[in-house]
Amino acid sequence: MQTTVQRKTSSKNRLNPGGRYWIWYILPALLMYCLFMAYPMLDSVRLSLYEGTTGARTFVGFANYVRLFTDPEVSARFWGAFRNTWVFFAYHMLVQNVLGMLFAVVLTNRTMKGRQFYQTVVFIPCTIAVMVTGYLFKLILNPQFAGPTLRSMGLGFLVKPWLGSEKTALNVISLVSVWQWVGIPTMMFVAGLQGISEDLLEAADIAGANSWQTFWYIKYPLLLPVVGMIAILTFVSNFNAFDIIYAMATPDGAPNYSTDLIGSLFYRYGVAGKHPIGIPEPGVGAAISTAVFFMLLAGVVPTLRATQGKE
Amino acid sequence: MSTRKNERKGASLKILNMHIPSHILMIFWVFIALFPVYLLIINSFKQRMAIYSNPFGLPGVWTLDNYIYVVQGGNFFQYFFNSITVVVVSLATILLLGSLAGYALAHWRTRLSRGIYFFFILGMMLPIKIATIRLLELMKIFDLFNTLWSLFFVYIAMGMPTAVFILTEFIHGLPRDLYEAAYIDGAPRSKIYYGIVLPLIKPALATVGIYNLVPIWNDLWFPLIFITQEDKKTVLLAVTRLQGQYSTDWPRVFALLTLSALPVILLYLSMSKQFVTGLTAGAVKG
Amino acid sequence: MRKLTALLLAVLMMAGLLPALTQAETVKLTMGSWRSDDAEKVQALLDKYKELTGVEIAFQPTVSDQYNATLRLQLDNGTGPDLYYSRSYAVGQELFDAGFSMDCTDIPGVKENFPESALDAWQTPDGKVFAVPFAAVSQVIYYNKTLFAENGLEVPTTFEELIAVSKAFKEKGIEPFANGIASNWDILECVYLGMLPNYVGGADQRALYESGEKKMNDEAFLKSLQDFAELAQYLPEGFESLTNSDGPAMLGLGRSAMFIDGSWTCGTFADYGVEWGAIAFPAPEGATPAMCFHPDMGITGNNATKYPEEVKAFLTWLATPEGAQTTSTYLPQGFFPMIDAPITFADPAVTEILALNDGKVLDARFVWAKLLNMYTPMVEQLNALTKGETTPEAVAEVFAAEQAKIVGQ
Repeated sequence: MQTTVQRKTSSKNRLNPGGRYWIWYILPALLMYCLFMAYPMLDSVRLSLYEGTTGARTFVGFANYVRLFTDPEVSARFWGAFRNTWVFFAYHMLVQNVLGMLFAVVLTNRTMKGRQFYQTVVFIPCTIAVMVTGYLFKLILNPQFAGPTLRSMGLGFLVKPWLGSEKTALNVISLVSVWQWVGIPTMMFVAGLQGISEDLLEAADIAGANSWQTFWYIKYPLLLPVVGMIAILTFVSNFNAFDIIYAMATPDGAPNYSTDLIGSLFYRYGVAGKHPIGIPEPGVGAAISTAVFFMLLAGVVPTLRATQGKE
Repeated sequence: MSTRKNERKGASLKILNMHIPSHILMIFWVFIALFPVYLLIINSFKQRMAIYSNPFGLPGVWTLDNYIYVVQGGNFFQYFFNSITVVVVSLATILLLGSLAGYALAHWRTRLSRGIYFFFILGMMLPIKIATIRLLELMKIFDLFNTLWSLFFVYIAMGMPTAVFILTEFIHGLPRDLYEAAYIDGAPRSKIYYGIVLPLIKPALATVGIYNLVPIWNDLWFPLIFITQEDKKTVLLAVTRLQGQYSTDWPRVFALLTLSALPVILLYLSMSKQFVTGLTAGAVKG
Repeated sequence: MRKLTALLLAVLMMAGLLPALTQAETVKLTMGSWRSDDAEKVQALLDKYKELTGVEIAFQPTVSDQYNATLRLQLDNGTGPDLYYSRSYAVGQELFDAGFSMDCTDIPGVKENFPESALDAWQTPDGKVFAVPFAAVSQVIYYNKTLFAENGLEVPTTFEELIAVSKAFKEKGIEPFANGIASNWDILECVYLGMLPNYVGGADQRALYESGEKKMNDEAFLKSLQDFAELAQYLPEGFESLTNSDGPAMLGLGRSAMFIDGSWTCGTFADYGVEWGAIAFPAPEGATPAMCFHPDMGITGNNATKYPEEVKAFLTWLATPEGAQTTSTYLPQGFFPMIDAPITFADPAVTEILALNDGKVLDARFVWAKLLNMYTPMVEQLNALTKGETTPEAVAEVFAAEQAKIVGQ
């Protein structure tokens, strides 16, 4: 569908005047990126082969990786966090991104009133700092704070230690995160849907397609590159997510590591060190990130191939 | 055919377009999205004890004491000036450099350009915190401690991968006929960038802006290690310290958090019209 | 776009100019700390010091749980503060061993004015002092006097009475305690380590566990865990998601009758207008009452400071009785100077809490000196025990196994 409609004309790579001259357009971004991100990060990845902190660093080969995957405690934490991160990701894909698409379809319905108001409101939570969101929801979900009021309203069944139970904490935190960020996929889908040519929608309308058919046979296939892009961004950001766990469940992923994500695990081992000692092990932290890096790569490359930049 | 179309344009249009369920959905979400914000604001006007007996309702007695106290606790104008400077400078630079690179990477399809593109994308997959030690060393070399410059550079670099990713994909997705003629006429690249590409990618720029605004605004880590001087602190850094100080006085914390959140919400609301039009500006009439 | 560029340039220039305008050439020291809660009070203390000596010190606290990591990063890069709070025992010593912290052994007064128990926390095995002892905290049980009086209950003096009182409160529909487990530290640091000295004794006994002579599944430990499990039944509804900062409010509003916490909290109750008191954690019948009095904060100098003389002068001042007295008037309530000299407090409640120490065996938190690696497994086990997912016997076995790992090394 998409190749026939939109990309038909895009295969003319003859339009490539100047060749290497393009590098001048790329260079400023590349320099910034290399100096302040790529070099420091790649150089730090090297630390996964070392032990100790600055000053007292010794080369240990792959010992950190061996520890990560064989030490009963560290590997249990790693796989626990790995599993939790997938749950966290599943919520964002299935709830946040689906909801985002739904909102975007509604918000681009040109005959509907109040679109601008809705669009503005959907995005408001994104402007609030995660720390503030965490604090607010911790109070709302706190049985001692909200409990008495909820009970008097006959909503006593809502009074549960949501964040204190291993069964519910991760689900609740994932939903809070969805609440906060749903505006972003919404905006991206809106931008994508705006790009669909009106002639096409008109044609579908004339052919008698209903709104579901229009969505499924015309809008969705054309949105596929946006879907892929959002999937990749969600995937990558969820595997680095940390702020919301820090704000709502302590960096330990309380209770009992049930909300521990790869991001908080990395923070605990690689950046802050475990309470109360607080001496980080940058080597283990780097090993965690490197292992996850390759897993992400294995997820991102096929997605990129399947949804983007077909020539 | 024409009768059918007229019929659809008539009374049944609203049903066919599912206006009613759409409104129900959106009103439901408006409530969910705004309730915590409402809590944040009203509780900041309550007296200390009232918050426990009445956490969800409007204050019985409105008080400004919490704000007066909090404002005296720190130089909020300075914090805001710092935060907003950091956000504006970083975002503007990200958008400028990102769109230039995206424009080039979308049009220049060679093995080298693909390699560069992929190299940018790799940056999304590692946590930037891993680079902390090296970044500290860099800041030391450039003597940027306790300056906002240290934050600009890190944030600009941090935003590059997603900016390049989103903008390259977006520019690549634009129908080529839009600038084909210009190329054939021999128009310079810079003119095509400024005159054709830039207006078309406004929605994507808005998206990238938002996508990067969030982590920059939320970041606590780099201010924490680069900034110790009071007059260079960002809002969030100051708020975390003050929050510890007021930890058991909830209305005061609410006032503090409202003070940190409200300006951004207001800024967003005042710009939301431009934002929404920016988002729709690129509608392709193709 | 052009407007944006102009704005960009203007902002960049302003940001560039600011540092140039604010630079001045006077001695201005900085002090790092994890106590962001105390910022106002400690700054007042430092202002007083400036009044006395003319040396200006700016207090620059960091969020507590990021303090160790950020301080280490700053020290590594030569941008650390001139003075900084030093954690007690191994964590503080690590910075000394790495060459960052000043050797305070020869600071006048340090060896003379502090008791051995205080110096112990900031001393290497070969007797080098790496920070001047600054303040200690004690672990107590706060109680709501009004609730006790209204319900005709006596303040407990033994563990058995504590349980009886808790039971009575629960039957009347009042939550006995205000403690939860969501902060992930207070159930160990305040509750369990607060009660432990009553079961295992003081520093001399602790040394036997540290050397492995005594096992952490012995009778004393088992009894402590059984009593802990009994106490845990009286935690409030929804304790799983209550944090340490919910406690003062619950006690203050009369929702809970007692709150097991550190002396550092005592200043917050006044805001609620509650009649409160504090007791030491009551020992089981027949046991020698003991108490957790924990050396918490030391202050040391940064070897890389530009002003070593001024830094040393401040540390010397801290180690004098006058310095300690001044300090204690400014320190937040519930932090006690450790100096061997009579100190008076403005607030009688604070004097009362410190008086709880009298006649009791005192010791630091059990795991701090040598068994800190047990911290995480202990938190995990106690959380599970609180939720009824394990038994005291099983926990004792895990404790002993973890102890063996550390001692066996």
